[in-house]
Amino acid sequence: MFRFLAQTLINGINIGALYGLAALGLSLIFGVMRILNVAHGEFLMIGGFIGFWLFHLYGVDPFMGLPMVGFFLFIMGIAFYKLIFSRLTRFHEEVKLKNSLLIAFGLYLIFPQIAMLLWTPDERAISPKYSGEAIDLFGLRFGYVPFWGLCVAVVTFLALYLFLNKTYFGKSLRGTAESWKAAKLSGINIERTFMITFGVGISIAGIAGVLIGMVQELTPIMGMPWTLKALIVVVLAGMGSIIGAFIAGLILGIVEAVSAIFMGPYTIAVGLFIFLIILMLRPQGLFGKT
Amino acid sequence: MLAQWKKSFIFGGFLALLVLLPLLTSRSDILTWTCLTFQYILLSQSWNILGGYAGQVNLGHAAFFGIGALTTRYVWLWGFPLPLALLLGSLIATVFAFFIGLPAFRLRGIYFVIGTLVLAEILRIIVDTRFPVASVLPAETLLTYSLVSRYYLSLLGAILAVFTVYFISHSRLGLGMRAIREDEDAAKTSGVGILQYKLSAFLISTFLAGFAGGIFAYYMVAVQPGYVFSPAWTFDSVVIVFVGGIGTIVGPIFGSVFFVILKQWLSLHLPGGLHLAVFGILFILVVLYIPDGFIELVRRFTKG
Amino acid sequence: MTDQEAVMLVVNHIDVYRGGLKALWDISISLSKGEIIALVGANGTGKSTFLETIAGLLAPSTGMIHFEGIQINGEPSHRIVDLGICLVPEDRGIFPGMNVLENLELGAFNRRGRAEKEETLCFVYGLFPILKDRRKQLAKTLSGGEQQMLAIGKGLLSKPKLLMLDEPSLGLAPLIVKNIFEAICQINQTGVSVLLVEQNVRIALKVAKRAYVIENGRIVTHEEAKNLLTDKRVRQAYLGIHSF
Repeated sequence: MFRFLAQTLINGINIGALYGLAALGLSLIFGVMRILNVAHGEFLMIGGFIGFWLFHLYGVDPFMGLPMVGFFLFIMGIAFYKLIFSRLTRFHEEVKLKNSLLIAFGLYLIFPQIAMLLWTPDERAISPKYSGEAIDLFGLRFGYVPFWGLCVAVVTFLALYLFLNKTYFGKSLRGTAESWKAAKLSGINIERTFMITFGVGISIAGIAGVLIGMVQELTPIMGMPWTLKALIVVVLAGMGSIIGAFIAGLILGIVEAVSAIFMGPYTIAVGLFIFLIILMLRPQGLFGKT
Repeated sequence: MLAQWKKSFIFGGFLALLVLLPLLTSRSDILTWTCLTFQYILLSQSWNILGGYAGQVNLGHAAFFGIGALTTRYVWLWGFPLPLALLLGSLIATVFAFFIGLPAFRLRGIYFVIGTLVLAEILRIIVDTRFPVASVLPAETLLTYSLVSRYYLSLLGAILAVFTVYFISHSRLGLGMRAIREDEDAAKTSGVGILQYKLSAFLISTFLAGFAGGIFAYYMVAVQPGYVFSPAWTFDSVVIVFVGGIGTIVGPIFGSVFFVILKQWLSLHLPGGLHLAVFGILFILVVLYIPDGFIELVRRFTKG
Repeated sequence: MTDQEAVMLVVNHIDVYRGGLKALWDISISLSKGEIIALVGANGTGKSTFLETIAGLLAPSTGMIHFEGIQINGEPSHRIVDLGICLVPEDRGIFPGMNVLENLELGAFNRRGRAEKEETLCFVYGLFPILKDRRKQLAKTLSGGEQQMLAIGKGLLSKPKLLMLDEPSLGLAPLIVKNIFEAICQINQTGVSVLLVEQNVRIALKVAKRAYVIENGRIVTHEEAKNLLTDKRVRQAYLGIHSF
C-alpha cells in the first residue's frame, strides 16, 4: 500500500515537473509583458515535433537535441514578437493587451492546421532505445526517461531562477515586470526586453514539448489542452509568481496523480475543480502577491 | 447621409426580401447558406454585446453555444415542444454564465478570460469523452425535415440579435457598458456599477449564444456532441465581429456575410481545415491594422 | 562664462495630447547648463505630462525638443536616458519588489551609467546614507522619504546631465523635504542641471534660478525665481495652496 502511494507520488512529481515547465514560460511572458499567451501550448507542440523529427530523421538523441530545440524556439519566439506583437506598441496599454490576447488566439487556430498539413494528424512519440528502461529502487520504479526529464525540468527552472535573480539583464526583466514606466525611465529598452522575454518563454515551452513527447504522444492538436494545464498552474501559483509556477506545477501533478486513483478518466475534472476553488477562495494563488 | 425614411425603406425592403426568399427560390444551397449566415449573425452579435460593447473578451463563447445546443437537442428529441427546448437551452447557458461570471468578474479581467477558456475546453473534453457518439435525428423527424422552417427560425434569431444590440446601444445599459469598455477605472469612479453591468452584458450575450446553439441543434441532422463546444465557434464569432466592425450594429452582419462567402470559397479550394488557418492570418492582420473593422474603413471612405 | 550659459534643453512650441485630450498648449522653455529651473502650478495643470514628454514617454503632436543640439521628441525613452536626461516621476519610478541596491543598480542600466556605477553608488550613499544602511531591504518597506531618496539616487545612477524631478516634496514631512532639497542643491553643484516640477511653490522658488508658471496646460509666466517670490499674484494664487 505504501509502495503504491510512493509510486503514485513519484509519477505525480514526474508529470508535475512537466506541468511546471509548461507553466514557467507562460508565467514569464505574462509577468513581464502582461500578454496571456493562449498559444503557448502550440509552441510546446512545435518544440515537441522538432525534437521528434530530429530524432526520427537524424537520429539525434532527444535529450542531446534539447539545446537545439531550445535555441530554435528562442529564435522563433523573437521572430513572432518582432513580426507580430511588436506592431501593437502604438496602441494604448489596455487595447494592446486585449489585442495580444486575440492575436495569440488567432495563432492557436492557425498552428494546429499547419501542423496537421505538414505532419498529418497522426500521433507520434519520441521513443529512443532506452525509453522503457527503469531503475528499481526499494521496489519503486524510477523510469529512466521521466527521471531525466525531471532533471532537465529542474535544471531549466534553476537556470531561469538564477538568470532572473543574479544577472543584471535578468533583474531588468523583473523590474520591467513590476513597472513598465519605471523600467523605461531607468533606461531599459522595453521593446528589446519584451522580445527576449518572449523568446525565452517560448524556448522553455519548446523544451517542455520535447520532454512531453517522450512520455506522452505528440499530436497537432495537443496545444490547447497543454495551454489550459499551464493556465491552471499559473492561476494556482498566483499571477505574479514566475518561480512559484514551477512549484505549483509539481503540486498539481501530485494532486492529480493521487486523485486519479479515485476518479479514473474524469481526472481531467480535477484541474478544473482546483481552478474554480482557487478562483473563489484565494484568487491571488498560493504564492501570488495581491 | 440618406434621409431617415429612405433608410427605413431600404431596410424594410431588404427584410421583406429575406422573408420572401424561400418563396422565390427552392434552391437548397442558397437557402442553406443564407440560413447559416443568419445563425452566424446571431452568434456573432451575441459575442459583440460582451466583447464589442462592454469590452470583455470572452474566449470561451463556444461553451455557451454548446450548452444551448446540447440542451435544446436532447430536450427536443425527448419529445418536448421546440420552443420550450430552445428556451431551456438559452436559460441553462445563462445559468452557467452566471456561476462563472460572478466570481470571474469580481477579479481582474484576465481571470475572466482564463475562466471562460478553461470552461469551454473542459466542457468539450468531458462531453467528447462521455458522449462520443454522434446524435442523429430519428427517421420520422428526418422525413419531415424542413429547411424552410429552420430558415425562418434562423432569420428570427438574427433579427432578435440585431434588435437586442440596437436596443442596448441606445439604452442606459449600453452607455454603462461602453463606459466600462473605454476606461473601467474612470467608470467605477463615476458610479457605474461595474459588476452588474458586466454581468448583465454577459448574461444577455450567453442567452443569445445559447439560443444560437439551440437553433443549430435543431438545424443539424447529425452532430457529434463535442463538436458544438469546438473553439472554432468562439473563433468564428470573434473573427466576424472584428472583421466586420467591433462594437457596431452593422459590423457583425457584414462580417457574417463576408465570412460565409469566404468560408464557402476557401473550403472549395483548400484541403481540410486549412481555411481556419487562412482566417487566423486574416484575423491577425485585422487586429493589427484594421482593429475597428471594415465598417469603420467604409465609413472613413464615405466621409472623406 | 559662455559654457555656463550654454543652452542645454530647448522645448519649442509643443502641443501634447494625452488619452485623446489636449494637455499642453504651445509650451516653450529653455534650460541652460548647470541651471536649476522650476515649473510650478496647481494640480492637474500638465506638469507631469510635460516632463513625461521630454522623457520620451509621450510625444508632442507639434513642436520640437532639442537636447544638446539633438532632436529628442519622438525618441524612445531609453534613448533619452542614454543621452543624459533622467526623470524621477511623481510615483517615484522605483521597483517595490526589489531591494534598495537592486533598484540603484538598475538605475545604471544605460551605457554611461554602467561605466561609472561604483563611483556613482558611493556618491549616492554619501548623499543619502540611509540608503546604504537599508540597501538589502525591499523598496516597498521604505518610508516615503526614503523612497524619494531612493528614487533620486536611482536617477543619479544613470549619470544624467539633466535631472528632472516631478514633485519630490509630495507627501513628505517638512524636515525631510528640506533634506531632499539640500541634496538637490548638492547634486546641482556637481554640474547636473535640474528641472524641477513642484506644487510646493515656496521651496521650488527657493532653490531654482528661474521659474515658469503653468496654468491649464499653458505657460503663463516666466521669471527669475526671486522676482516670482515677491510677485503679488503668485503669492495669492500659489503660496496659499502649497501646503496641505
